[in-house]
Amino acid sequence: MDWSILIAQATVNGLIVGLLYLLMAIGFTLVFGVMRMVNFAHGEFYMLGAFGAYFLTTTLGISFLPALAITFAGAVVFGAAVEWSILKPFRHDELNGMIATIGLAMILQNLALMFFGPDPVSMPSIARGATRLGQIAIPTARIYVVIFALAVLCALYIFLKKSKPGRALRAVVEDFEIASIQGIRSKVYYPLGFGIGVGLAAAAGALMAPLFSVSPFVGAAPLLKAFMVVILGGLGSIPGAAVAGLALGLVESYSSLFLSTSTADMLIFLIVIVMLIVRPKGLLGQGEV
Amino acid sequence: MHIKALAAALALALPLSATAQEAETLKIGALVTLSGAGASWGQGMKNAAEIAADEVNAQGGLDINGKKYKVQVVAYDDKYQANEAVTVANRLVFEDKVKYIIGPVGSAPVLAIQPITEKNGVIVITLGFTDKALDKDKKFTFRPNVTTVEVAEPQITWLVKSQGLKKVGALFPNDETGHQIAKDLAEAYKKAGADLAATEFFERDRVDFVPLLTRILSKGVDAIELDGNSPTTAGLIVKQAREIGFTGKIIRTGGPATQEIINVAGPDSTEGMFVHTPVNPDLPSTKAYADAYAAKYKHPMNGFSPAFYDGTKLLFEAMKRAGTVTDTEAIAKEMEQIKDFPGALGNLNWTGQEVYGSNHQLNAPFYVAEVIDGKEVIRATCTVSGCE
Repeated sequence: MDWSILIAQATVNGLIVGLLYLLMAIGFTLVFGVMRMVNFAHGEFYMLGAFGAYFLTTTLGISFLPALAITFAGAVVFGAAVEWSILKPFRHDELNGMIATIGLAMILQNLALMFFGPDPVSMPSIARGATRLGQIAIPTARIYVVIFALAVLCALYIFLKKSKPGRALRAVVEDFEIASIQGIRSKVYYPLGFGIGVGLAAAAGALMAPLFSVSPFVGAAPLLKAFMVVILGGLGSIPGAAVAGLALGLVESYSSLFLSTSTADMLIFLIVIVMLIVRPKGLLGQGEV
Repeated sequence: MHIKALAAALALALPLSATAQEAETLKIGALVTLSGAGASWGQGMKNAAEIAADEVNAQGGLDINGKKYKVQVVAYDDKYQANEAVTVANRLVFEDKVKYIIGPVGSAPVLAIQPITEKNGVIVITLGFTDKALDKDKKFTFRPNVTTVEVAEPQITWLVKSQGLKKVGALFPNDETGHQIAKDLAEAYKKAGADLAATEFFERDRVDFVPLLTRILSKGVDAIELDGNSPTTAGLIVKQAREIGFTGKIIRTGGPATQEIINVAGPDSTEGMFVHTPVNPDLPSTKAYADAYAAKYKHPMNGFSPAFYDGTKLLFEAMKRAGTVTDTEAIAKEMEQIKDFPGALGNLNWTGQEVYGSNHQLNAPFYVAEVIDGKEVIRATCTVSGCE
């Protein structure tokens, strides 16, 4: 293989992975935008989404798309219920709220450990083999995942831009006080925002489940990536998360092509640190944090 | 004074006379991992010791010079952690007063408890894969399972020859274990006449291997080696290598994890994969043990379990030969001398003088299997000296 093909291959790999990071990070940043709170349980909702999709497809025999929809809807409801029942007292107490989410993460992970056991399970791939574009090989399963991820993102975009509750939610993200003055009820939008945020994490988990394996421990790595994307893009900024997610995927892919993998991992953290020093509010952040 | 001395003498004599009439109890410690990631291995080791104990107890106890001992297994969980292992080792040695320990599972835990066990003459039968576990000064530690040091070379030589491998690629976790295995494998492949041409190191929590595999495949390798990776990671590598269109051989020359890899990667991706396996399920003695295990514990045994059944039986044999259950120095000496012992794994001898400086490593047969329809099919039988 010559270099131009390798670079093209790395670009495709990077964009696919970046899109998956993006899905994870958008939910994370949405929750932050609404609640001003870092949700450390985000990774565990990703894990629950992966298990949800796994059981719906393998045990109940539902096909992948409806399973994804059910997982997402279930996670939105569950997330809203969690916000309403557990996080409500912390709505204006972000620091303790964050600690509550750490506790929530531990509880969810250990519950998963008790019910599903520590051994990883594998979900059958959506599709087999590779699709070739010229000499570039793309796993067919990943193409499907990308299509579904784009569909989820489009639906989110339309919801946030066009629908009334979506616009209200954006208003809450942008400025909570002004939004309240305009008559937007926080009673509804706190649980809704949190629910949609973790719903997106669960959707990311469901989408990644057939690509990777499913176990109670799968949530940690995507949480870290989401964190990095959100720091790079600016906490609470959805367009920032989009740009940073794709950029992180590409940087990872190129750097692991040209450098050794451990150097590549170091480089990513270096970029995050430089970003924090040079531009702490992130690429497109509002700088109020 | 007299009364005191008499009382002391009585206190000493009483428990002795009380126990002399019935069978005495011989305690064996099982210091294994019973929770978390290594639990399936630890469970298999504890159960192996229990099955061996049940067998002698069914005959009225272990017969040492005409005296019968009931064998009791005392199990503790080390959670696969060195500090936890030290805590429970102290408990076993100083409170339960055991002289024999089955375990631990991990390398770090065994190295951590050896200062206690070696100093107090406690015989340890461990799984720990580190080459530092056995040493000419560690007189009381034995290992009944073959490790990468024993299995890598004969298997690689056989695979390179029979499959015509030339260029091999491999991915390893970026830590001490990973780098050590990478070095060992590179030498083994070189000796066998092939080239470990592409190696990549990654952080342990990584799940996306497509970029790394792209790099490896661009070097034109005809096989991928999975040794050194955890079962889940190995499964992900297999799955993703097949997804980006790799059609060459996939090999795992160490660490039995076939079922876990198939679980993660699916039976299609693993078809034709060559794996190391420490047991031949068709061997009559192994089958008898597997059946006894399944009957008692209602789930299939782990691949390491028969080695620890054999290890416990070897320990009993050494006690009989030494004619004592307390003089562990004599027992350890007798243990080393056992030759051609018929175990569940087959014909057993000790080896390791060249590598470790002491013959405390069991030389049990092991196998290269090919995965067909999600099942292991034995292709070659190996010993430390070679495969055929």
